[in-house]
Amino acid sequence: MAAQARSTRDKIWQVFGSVRTGIILLIVVGLAVMAGTLILQRPITEPSKLHQVYSPETLRLLDALRLTDVFHSWWFVLLLSLLSANIVVASIERFPAAWRYFSHPARRAEPHFFASLAMKRAIPLRSSRVDMEKVELAFRRAGWKPQYVSDDHGSVSLYAERFRIARMAPFVVHASLLLILAGGIIDGLFGYKGFISLGQNESTSQLELPDGTHKALPFAIRCDGAGQENYPDGTPKRWWSRLAVLENGREMQRKEIVVNDPLTYRGLRFYQASYGATGEVAGVKLLVTPKNGGPKQEFWLKLDEAVPLDKDATVRITQFVPDFVVVENHIESRSDQPNNPAVQISVQSKQAGETRIWLFPRFPEFTHANNTGFDFRVGDVQMGYFTGLQVSHEPGQWAVWAGVILMGVALALVFYFVHVRLWALPVDDGMGRLTLWLGASASKNREDFERRFRALVDAVEHELKAQDSAAKLQRAELAVVK
Amino acid sequence: MARVQMMEQRSAAPTTPSGNLLLGLVALGTVFMLLMGLLGTIKTGALFNEANLLFAALTFYAASTVLYIGFAVTGTERFVRFAWLATWVGFVSNTLAGAHRWYTAGHAPFSSVYEMLLAFIWAVAALTLFVQRKYGVKVIGTITMPVAVVGVVLMQLLPSDVHPLVPALQSTWLHIHVTLAMLSYAACAVSFALAMMFLIQDNMRTESFLANTSGLVALIYAGVLGRFAGGGLKVVAQNPQTGGDLMIQRGMPLMVVIPDLGWLFAIVLLALLAPLVLYAWAAWKHDDRGYVWANRAFVISMVLQALAAVAFVFRVRGGQYASPMVEGVFPTALANSPFILAGLLSGLLASLLYLMLSWRREGLQQMLPAADTLDRLTYKSIGIAFPLLTLMIAAGAYWANQTWGSYWSWDPKETAALVTWLVYAGYLHMRIARGWRGRRAAYFAVLGFAVVMFTFFGVTYLLPGLHAYA
Repeated sequence: MAAQARSTRDKIWQVFGSVRTGIILLIVVGLAVMAGTLILQRPITEPSKLHQVYSPETLRLLDALRLTDVFHSWWFVLLLSLLSANIVVASIERFPAAWRYFSHPARRAEPHFFASLAMKRAIPLRSSRVDMEKVELAFRRAGWKPQYVSDDHGSVSLYAERFRIARMAPFVVHASLLLILAGGIIDGLFGYKGFISLGQNESTSQLELPDGTHKALPFAIRCDGAGQENYPDGTPKRWWSRLAVLENGREMQRKEIVVNDPLTYRGLRFYQASYGATGEVAGVKLLVTPKNGGPKQEFWLKLDEAVPLDKDATVRITQFVPDFVVVENHIESRSDQPNNPAVQISVQSKQAGETRIWLFPRFPEFTHANNTGFDFRVGDVQMGYFTGLQVSHEPGQWAVWAGVILMGVALALVFYFVHVRLWALPVDDGMGRLTLWLGASASKNREDFERRFRALVDAVEHELKAQDSAAKLQRAELAVVK
Repeated sequence: MARVQMMEQRSAAPTTPSGNLLLGLVALGTVFMLLMGLLGTIKTGALFNEANLLFAALTFYAASTVLYIGFAVTGTERFVRFAWLATWVGFVSNTLAGAHRWYTAGHAPFSSVYEMLLAFIWAVAALTLFVQRKYGVKVIGTITMPVAVVGVVLMQLLPSDVHPLVPALQSTWLHIHVTLAMLSYAACAVSFALAMMFLIQDNMRTESFLANTSGLVALIYAGVLGRFAGGGLKVVAQNPQTGGDLMIQRGMPLMVVIPDLGWLFAIVLLALLAPLVLYAWAAWKHDDRGYVWANRAFVISMVLQALAAVAFVFRVRGGQYASPMVEGVFPTALANSPFILAGLLSGLLASLLYLMLSWRREGLQQMLPAADTLDRLTYKSIGIAFPLLTLMIAAGAYWANQTWGSYWSWDPKETAALVTWLVYAGYLHMRIARGWRGRRAAYFAVLGFAVVMFTFFGVTYLLPGLHAYA
């Protein structure tokens, strides 16, 4: 009973860790992502568009299956979890063997191991001893760094290898994928996004979240200016905002941000997201000429800001219309653009009481004469603008970038670095005849490596022949001496 | 048997005088096209500008396509030599066109669909030359060069004005992102070509190719028929002032209906479904006559396809049609329906490639490298494509993070790229798992390229999203 239970558990474990399961999961996740690509998704679509494209019944079905928000649905999360589990189990299954392979490379090749090699060559030697230094020389000339390995019987063989790390690279790829997913999960749980809209010289520490609620930041952000630059053809070239970070009233940081270059403070990033006119006036430059010939005055006025004209009278702006038009006896604004601005000022005098005057900067002649004793002209109008800042807090992004870099490196190792091994082993056949076995293995691209192996074998043979003839010569000399 | 022997003889004696006719025709066609182009330049006076260079590239790519197909059909080695030469000349013109554009625009040509196609075609041609040179796969151009030709034709139709970069595009990461995308997509195109050859060499039944080809082309026509309106076909009207699309409001072009064209396209779709039905019947009943009839039906559907393409070109070019949205008639031009035209052209080319296969199966198999080699080469090309694809997505994510404050927003372009990545990840794991190798892996390579094409064109033109630039 217990054995059966264990075998069931083993079976589940095996199924979970198999490449086949992995491929099937990849296909299913791929189909789910495809569905999320082709079906309009609620988070990035206007509700009206959804109703326009799908009939109510279809929409209800899609909603019930969470197909209108695939990437936040429980079943998509489940699929990703299953895929992650598959990666983890498969890695646990395969890691120990791979690690043994990595940490204890088979430096000494036994004859039975040699028999299993795909690339091998036997060089029969005429002499009864082999000069391994010659073999080493041939290895070194071909760019290898061989090492001597001796077994218990004192026989010496050569071993060389390259890029053993490539064997571990697939594990690194999968680990990096998990790291990226982990970063995504951290951001999903602890990260947030928001929006801040600021006019000039305004500051706030309130962040508007996508659901409409507000979040208080431990510091405030102030806009010292913002603007837009255009190309000659009128298309926008650059949006910028000068921002300052205030903490407890102290200015901590200052930066001019543009699109693609945010300000970062305490893990929060502030992006230039939008820029536009508020439709409200920021200031009006008023030119005042006294009718009795006194000195001319020129000053900037804000809405509802009272400025004294002389000892008796003050002036303030009571109303501003950016794009003045009269529709059925009502004053309206056609747009938020200052195409035809109209300024209503009020002159308060102790003697004459209040006088209201409409001023039209584009059409100064429209202004009626008044009895306040002053002539008013508008010199300039400055419109208010706002800069829209996208704010995001993504504590997991460092895991994501680390994972991405790791994955890039590991993929390069997987695809472009081949673990190759070489062995040279002299084998005595028991009758005093000696054979030098040369063997090699490559983790991939065997065809390419085979060519290099053959060249190496030739080089070794060449060296040994030279040795043989040298030995023969020596023997001949000895014979002559005798 | 006798036929096979004849084929062997022919491919064994590559320098037979046959083939002069095709070479002559191609040479004549090339000279004619270039002369036409020259006549055009006499008016403007500028010889080496981008449009002319691109036209030259189109001419030579077309010549090399004809020669590569000629080689695949007849096995004449000389064709390959001239095709190689034509590809080189086209590639040089293509490079110069890109350099010229870079020089005049002042930024790397990666900011519009037009400019990305320029880079994509360049990479396809470069990889074709590379694979032929390094691995001796001579037939590769037969599949990749038609892709390049469709790309250049599409470019002739797309708006090519140099626009200054909008703020979000002013980033080094954009160039990295797009360069990686184009390189990896070109590698995907090559892996697709190799996988198709593997399937041919792996003795996949010619009938299966028939079913897949007609299925694919039927899908294209089904996609086009999404514009079906009461027997007509809806196309985008042209703005006579700018030559661009006539817009009602931002993101909403004015559609006009070309009467009766919808029916013609529906008939073509039915004609394409006929071989599929016959194939299914033959497979179910184990009756080979069904396959014969399916082949005949496919030839008929090809004739209809050609008819439909010609009808489409003649009716859209300089036409005036009424719109269901606004009163009055509005002009149409091919430039405003580039993707329908590209779809029709791709369908025709795919059908042609199938016909070539069904006529010359044995000969082709002799010319191709062994199945093992093709499988390995497919793996190698995906070994290039996959890391590039990974880095492309990463660079895009980094750029998005710099611009919008989030590295992943499940935007359709992002998710489509993720699907591509998953498909190729599936391919790579298939090669590890025993028993899933070979044919199933090749299917994945083909599917991967289909998803790449969908990501590149489909998402841009069918689905809205953040990725509005391309």
